[in-house]
Amino acid sequence: MSTLSWSHGLRVSLVLALLGVAAFPIYWMLVTSLTSSPDLFAAKPHLLPDLAQWPVYGHAFSTTAVAIWLKNSAIVAFGTAALSIALAIFPAYVLSRYRLPAVAVLGVALFVTQMLPEAMLVVPLYAIFGELGLLNSLGGLILANTAFTVPVITLILKGAVDGVPIDVEEAACIDGCSRLGIVLTVVLPLVAPSLAAAAVIAFFHGWNEYVFAQTLISDQGLQTASVGLAGFVGELSTPMHTVMAIGLMYTLPAVIFYLFVQRYVVSGMTAGSVKG
Amino acid sequence: MASISLQGVTKIFGGKKAANQISFDVADREFLVLLGPSGCGKSTLLRMLAGLEQVSSGEIHVGARRVDNLPPSDRDMAFVFQSYALYPHMTVRRNISFPLIMREHRWWFHLPLVGGFAKRRIEKSPAVRELVARTARTLALTDMLDQYPRTLSGGQRQRVALGRAMVRQPDVFLMDEPLSNLDAKLRTSMRAEIIKLHREVGGTFVYVTHDQIEAMTMGTRIALMRDGVVQQFGTPREIYADPANTFVARFIGTPPMNLIEARLEPQRGLLVGQSLLPLPAHLAALGSQAGDVLLGVRPHTLQLGQAGLAGKVALVEHVGAESIVSVQLEQARTAHHDDGGSGSDVMVVVPGYSELRIGQAVHLALELSEAVLFDRGGQRLRTPALSLAA
Amino acid sequence: MPANSHTARRSLAPPRVKRDWTPYWFAAPVAIYLLLFQGYPLAQELYLSFTSTSLLSPDQHAYVGLQNYIDLVTQDEFRQVLLITAVYTVVCVVLAIGLGLGAALLLDAPFRGRGLARALVTIPWAAPPVAVALIFIWIYNGQYGVFNHLLAACGWTGGMESWLDGPRLALPAVLLTTVWQIFPFASVVILAALQGVSSELREAAVIDGADRLSVFRAVVWPTIQPSVALLSLFLTIWSLRRFDLIWLMTQGGPIGSTNTLVIELYRRAFVYRDLGQGAAVGMVGLSIALVVTVFYFRYNQRTERAKGQR
Repeated sequence: MSTLSWSHGLRVSLVLALLGVAAFPIYWMLVTSLTSSPDLFAAKPHLLPDLAQWPVYGHAFSTTAVAIWLKNSAIVAFGTAALSIALAIFPAYVLSRYRLPAVAVLGVALFVTQMLPEAMLVVPLYAIFGELGLLNSLGGLILANTAFTVPVITLILKGAVDGVPIDVEEAACIDGCSRLGIVLTVVLPLVAPSLAAAAVIAFFHGWNEYVFAQTLISDQGLQTASVGLAGFVGELSTPMHTVMAIGLMYTLPAVIFYLFVQRYVVSGMTAGSVKG
Repeated sequence: MASISLQGVTKIFGGKKAANQISFDVADREFLVLLGPSGCGKSTLLRMLAGLEQVSSGEIHVGARRVDNLPPSDRDMAFVFQSYALYPHMTVRRNISFPLIMREHRWWFHLPLVGGFAKRRIEKSPAVRELVARTARTLALTDMLDQYPRTLSGGQRQRVALGRAMVRQPDVFLMDEPLSNLDAKLRTSMRAEIIKLHREVGGTFVYVTHDQIEAMTMGTRIALMRDGVVQQFGTPREIYADPANTFVARFIGTPPMNLIEARLEPQRGLLVGQSLLPLPAHLAALGSQAGDVLLGVRPHTLQLGQAGLAGKVALVEHVGAESIVSVQLEQARTAHHDDGGSGSDVMVVVPGYSELRIGQAVHLALELSEAVLFDRGGQRLRTPALSLAA
Repeated sequence: MPANSHTARRSLAPPRVKRDWTPYWFAAPVAIYLLLFQGYPLAQELYLSFTSTSLLSPDQHAYVGLQNYIDLVTQDEFRQVLLITAVYTVVCVVLAIGLGLGAALLLDAPFRGRGLARALVTIPWAAPPVAVALIFIWIYNGQYGVFNHLLAACGWTGGMESWLDGPRLALPAVLLTTVWQIFPFASVVILAALQGVSSELREAAVIDGADRLSVFRAVVWPTIQPSVALLSLFLTIWSLRRFDLIWLMTQGGPIGSTNTLVIELYRRAFVYRDLGQGAAVGMVGLSIALVVTVFYFRYNQRTERAKGQR
């Protein structure tokens, strides 16, 4: 249909405005990190980063524990992704292929767990972890995070398994494969894109997570970046540019990684849970 | 007056010409069929008429008005889609009255309460109700007015689509393969309905199809297209009996016209294989020409017997009232290269159930009273003839 | 109890001889896992809500029956919490969907760089909430924050406000940050739904004389409406759950002006050290989420039935 040129120009400017709004706070993180302290508190804000300030990043590594934080966050994120996928593929298969009443119950239970706030479960979880000796360990944190990502991941993977035609499985069945074998060797490769998308979602949950990381870990050497960064709220001794440098280092991997995979995440998700 | 005139209409999609310098005139109240294989540009042309596609160059006039620079709603044309495109969340009644409401639409109709009230008032006005009722009666939809499209059958949905087109009483009706999604039996009855509609409504119809039977039975004139170019524009009779080139000759008619390689011998006749045949009266003017030609004869005009060109039966297909016999001639070749199936055999239609066997020797009697000649490039040789390169 | 999975088209036929235990084996690890790490804590919370337990001595539970709940119902501050939660949730969902819809419509038509634009618009969604809270705290800063300067540049004459410190302004500021973070998700979902809109139907409406808004109302909206409804459900539930952003920016203050249910839960448990009351608040929040979900499915069933019958 006809696109008049003024309408196109309007669309482009609106899109640019939209992108500006979307990107501005992240940009501002960059600017703030690269602005000297006196300039930060000047009367007029400096809208452009002062590139001469780049040593602030190296400075951040030497004056704070950001390297350890980022390492811990990465461990937790990867662990959450791996464990979530490993756990979720089987119930996803069951939810897709079976119509038993117990299966329906499982589906409902998974949906309900999505409503539970972490803040609510953190107290009993703390107690349980204490008894199991899982406090103060990254492994424990991974276990806690996985409990919260598995429902979403399962629903996404269920949607993906729905898309695998049953004939393929029946052929494997005739060839004498066990159900476990079918899932691992036949179904899994066919849902690989959704698997990757689900892994990414679990990864980000682990990377971004705050409440559990804050509560379940007290050892400073095991703090994740989310906790470390949150520690700067209200604290006045660390200069703002250093804080923002750390914030950007924590944010950029997430944003850049997500930019690359977002197309697959979208298709993986909308194929499953969200489409009416 | 709703005559349509196309002048040099061209459409370019990314370097490729989907329509190339199309020019023709459609008379008022005519039923024009745009016919051709997929990708020939007929749908593109129809959409340009409607305003759904911009014309790359050229002009379109309807009556005295130039329309190619107008938006679709200002062209006073109705469009029937192949997929019917009914509004799924509106009743049949609302679907049909939608164009009428849109015609009276003002900007403040979008306001929450006031707008809804204004729209309902138009819908319930006697003029609109009468128009909708009359349309529904014409298309036998009166019982379904309060149903939703999803509960209707394909044929019923098609009629609703027609109703929505009709209700605006436009000058021009555009239809994009409306019967393609229906099964064969329904297609036959809907064909008759559309013809009846054309007679009753009296507008100018432009109808796109790839089905030559639809084209031949429904159209007053046919524009046969290929690769964006109109190959021939004429009445069904002209296109059947007087094809402009071999593409047209073989597109129309089932089984397709045979093209046999032959040679014009000046003052002597037509040499087919070893047989020299005298030219029939209607081709006599070509008698002084010489050169290689293609002889076009339709399967129904050929006979198998004891005299004529020698050949062997390659295939016999029984279709009930007739049989289609494919004959491989010994001393003449065919030029059926532009389609996939028929190969190099001459096809003959014989009445009844043929007892011929594969491999059996037969003779093909060529009856040339309806034959046509083409040059080897596929162009029709018409009288008075142009000189041939020998 | 026969396994009737063979009646469904997509299910596998059970083996002829004995009952197929495979699904149970498959589901067991996850079921146990979730029972342990979510089911049991949930049950524990439910139990705690009927006790008076202090954070300092979490093993000592004094059973108090419904007292915690009665306290909540009678406290004015809790009513304020409910009100703020309602306002926060409704405004978040409405604005996020509105902005998401606008963004999706903008990004739907073809233009150069559309793929890049669609990717870049998801940046807020990708950013970790902790970092988002941190940068917005700085942006909203009363003296040095750029937000005030931007407003002044647009003609705001109100002077330099301290956004997160003022009881009237904190909630709008938190809302703005939240909407910024979640609207990309809405736009992605709606954009996907827009792909399902039939272009022939759009063309039919244009030929019928519909203006752009009428085309949207007659063709686009009815097609995407189910997706938008489901999207609203998810956004609502997530808003009821949202903790990190609000806690880090305002801790529920000032004067409880950004105190949603989850924040209140956390405060009562960790600031006032009353685990029993915290649990009770949590239960209330969970009940609200369940009620919303039930309403959604009821509404969904009703519209499905209406469409199918007529």
